[in-house]
Amino acid sequence: MTKLTLTAACVLLAASGAAAAADYEAGKKKAEEICAACHGPDGNKPLTPETPRLGGQYYDYLVHSLKAYRSGARENPMMSPMAKPLSDKEVKDVAWYFSRQPGLVSKY
Amino acid sequence: MEIDPAEGILANTKNLGPHYSMIIMNLYRVIATCALGSLAALSAPAWAEGDPVAAVQKKQMCEGCHGIPDFRTAYPDVYSVPKLGSQGAAYIVKALQDYKSGARKHPSMLGIAASLSDKDIADLAAYYSGGDAPK
Repeated sequence: MTKLTLTAACVLLAASGAAAAADYEAGKKKAEEICAACHGPDGNKPLTPETPRLGGQYYDYLVHSLKAYRSGARENPMMSPMAKPLSDKEVKDVAWYFSRQPGLVSKY
Repeated sequence: MEIDPAEGILANTKNLGPHYSMIIMNLYRVIATCALGSLAALSAPAWAEGDPVAAVQKKQMCEGCHGIPDFRTAYPDVYSVPKLGSQGAAYIVKALQDYKSGARKHPSMLGIAASLSDKDIADLAAYYSGGDAPK
């Protein structure tokens, strides 16, 4: 019985962990809907020179940036309205998707 | 009545002899050349003139954070310092100018950007936009 409870607890924990983590496929879908038009499908073909490349950027930096646009701490005529309606999960999903693409590199 | 400024001044110098007017004519040529030159500099994109080689001397203040993979900021929030290699030059210029003006806020980036001239910013943008890390 104890073993069963423990197993159930483990399964639940794993499930909740997965739910909290970013979802690559959901991020890809959302990115194609709202990000790709300006940043390019994988975040590597910005539409204008002043639009940043996102492919390969750090996940936590992208989350930080999107949340800053969402809160108004960082402002941009394009990004502020794009980020405002995003949920925490959507922010994590798109950030995870772009961070998993090739593109930016650490340069010393 | 419209008066050509060159003619106006030349008219006033006619009694000083042809030599004097020639000097002023030449002066106008010099001024016009300078004005055209600076106009060309203004209309060219700010990042176009960046020199990645000149940036090698200037990037020391960047590499302590941006040059270390997975390096994290400490204040005011903790997150990975963004990768700059292969980032667009115009975006890097904009980011640095925004930090400098205060439009974009980060304590250490404000301090860094405030110390940079437009030329420094163009050079750094040219360096970091240039792709893979040098061997």
